[in-house]
Amino acid sequence: MSAIFKYEVEEKDNVAPMPATRPLIHLSRITKTYDSGENEVQALRGVDAGIERGEFVSIIGPSGSGKSTLMHILGCLDSPTAGEYWLDGDDVAMLSARALAKIRNQKIGFVFQTFNLLPRATIWKNVELPLLYAGLGRGERRDRAFEALKRVGLEKRAKHRPNELSGGQRQRVAIARALVNEPSLILADEPTGNLDTKTGSDIIHIFEALAANNQTIVLVTHDPAIAARTQRRITIVDGVIVEGDTIED
Amino acid sequence: MILLESIIDGIRDIKDHFGRTMLQLLGVILGAGSIVATFSLSTTGKEAAMKYYKVSGGIQKIFVGNKPTGKVVLSAKALASQGLTVRDALAIQRDAKLIDLVSPVSTESMTVRYRTLEKPRSVMGIAPAYSPMNDIRAAHGRFITDNDVSSAARVAVLGSERATEFFGSEDPLGKTITINGTGYEVVGVMEEKYFSFDHKRNVMRWMNKQMYIPITTFVTRKGQSLEQGKIAFMHARMKDITKDKEAVDEIKRILMREHGVEDYQVFSRVANLRRNEQQNKMYDMTFMICGLISLIVGGIVVMNIQLASFNERVREVGTRKAIGATPAQIFAQFLSESVLVSLFGGLIGLVVGQLFCSGIGMLLRAAPAMTPDTAMKALIFAAGTGLVFGMYPAIRASRLNPIEALRTE
Repeated sequence: MSAIFKYEVEEKDNVAPMPATRPLIHLSRITKTYDSGENEVQALRGVDAGIERGEFVSIIGPSGSGKSTLMHILGCLDSPTAGEYWLDGDDVAMLSARALAKIRNQKIGFVFQTFNLLPRATIWKNVELPLLYAGLGRGERRDRAFEALKRVGLEKRAKHRPNELSGGQRQRVAIARALVNEPSLILADEPTGNLDTKTGSDIIHIFEALAANNQTIVLVTHDPAIAARTQRRITIVDGVIVEGDTIED
Repeated sequence: MILLESIIDGIRDIKDHFGRTMLQLLGVILGAGSIVATFSLSTTGKEAAMKYYKVSGGIQKIFVGNKPTGKVVLSAKALASQGLTVRDALAIQRDAKLIDLVSPVSTESMTVRYRTLEKPRSVMGIAPAYSPMNDIRAAHGRFITDNDVSSAARVAVLGSERATEFFGSEDPLGKTITINGTGYEVVGVMEEKYFSFDHKRNVMRWMNKQMYIPITTFVTRKGQSLEQGKIAFMHARMKDITKDKEAVDEIKRILMREHGVEDYQVFSRVANLRRNEQQNKMYDMTFMICGLISLIVGGIVVMNIQLASFNERVREVGTRKAIGATPAQIFAQFLSESVLVSLFGGLIGLVVGQLFCSGIGMLLRAAPAMTPDTAMKALIFAAGTGLVFGMYPAIRASRLNPIEALRTE
């Protein structure tokens, strides 16, 4: 028996010990190297982090710190050069483009700085979109999209087009779109960047309410005032996490 | 499901950018239109020609006519030859194995009188075989019979218009009509003959204006001996249309034996038809190629616009990918859009093609019609254009890196 499973019992002394119950997000020794011609650029140099279910976390850092790269990897838009990324029980570090698309569709909801709504579609259709790619039927898509719009208080505008809404309303539509597939993780990239302070604060308030409902949210920002409203701040500088990489309670 | 959404998206896209879409589709529209026009014209033309052939006696008909020989020095026999005669018709009837019917035809304008009405009118001397070979029948009474011919009877059969002209509502049967001073008994009135390519002009009307008398009567009344009686031409019918060349050669051989010089000409309708078909094929091909070229040009335009709109939509593609669209789904979306747009162009092309057809139809005084088959062909070609030229933009969209796409302003 022991001979057959020889490799499994070998010590891996350079890997951080796995917690008994794995958090929702578990990053281990994540590196990302961009090969730009002659010189290699190391955007991430061994990131370890864990985020628990229901946490509201911000990632902050100056530009060029590797913040965006980390967000792309967290959002399964990109794969790390090396390291492990466990998301909701799956190892997603080295998946194909197609498999990553599926993970994004089922487990992640995105909220962008520029809202990124489809201009020609009604907001109802916009919110339905992730469900469309998930292969859901028309009726179920419509019902669930409507429910998601209710959660952000925009069900009365369901048949409007994005250009008929204010910036704050558009971002609420984007949040509804992120919520509609009941994701394990909502990833918001500078969600208040294009909004005035008051409206931005309202958006953060929605996130707070969602977090209170056990929704995991990771918010990427450079604004300390916004970051201050999250439960935990992960600060990244020069491709490594310098603060907040473990759960402080 | 995603296909359906893409189609709805595509329709919305056509609606939102109607002008641009139309411009983009000009090539596809013209291409589909010219395919429609080509096929419609060619099928309608063929059908009309076949109908005409049938109405005027079928494709087995052979025409034998006189031909001036020019100024070549001729042999005694050749000099003696006086062109086609009744004797030639008899020789062909007797000797040609591949021919089942022959009728000599003479025609001349004669003075025709009934009571007080006197007019110069065309009179034809024929044999009974003229009737089946030209698909004409007597509506009342009878046509010229073998008996009439062998006895050189003074009987006449009137075309429908002549019957009305000379007799009005009176029944012409049994009445005597005077032709060049000689009385003829009217034994029959022909049924009215009608055929039109344009639903306006009856190309068979000349037949309704004929008067028929036995060929023997025709020549002997002119003072010629029966055998030497000159005729204008002959109609003959081949037994087997697959042996049309042999039938023509056989007639030519017999006539050469009789005349010693080629002062006659022989045409078969089968050969005519074949020549026409060859020509039609050439026209069809030419138009087809024009249609295909404009479809290809149209396809390139579709591809260009698709690529341009793709650049506008990079962010959209990035967003769709971020929220979980797989490369295959993006590919299907873009491809179905360009197929849909091209298909839309094809539909407009059908209308344009029908306009082409009516335009050409007015020039030709014919009315080409689009068949469902033709419409299908044009639509398939149009959709195929979208499929082929939509491929490249669709592949590019499906391969787009979502991070870079989202970063694009």
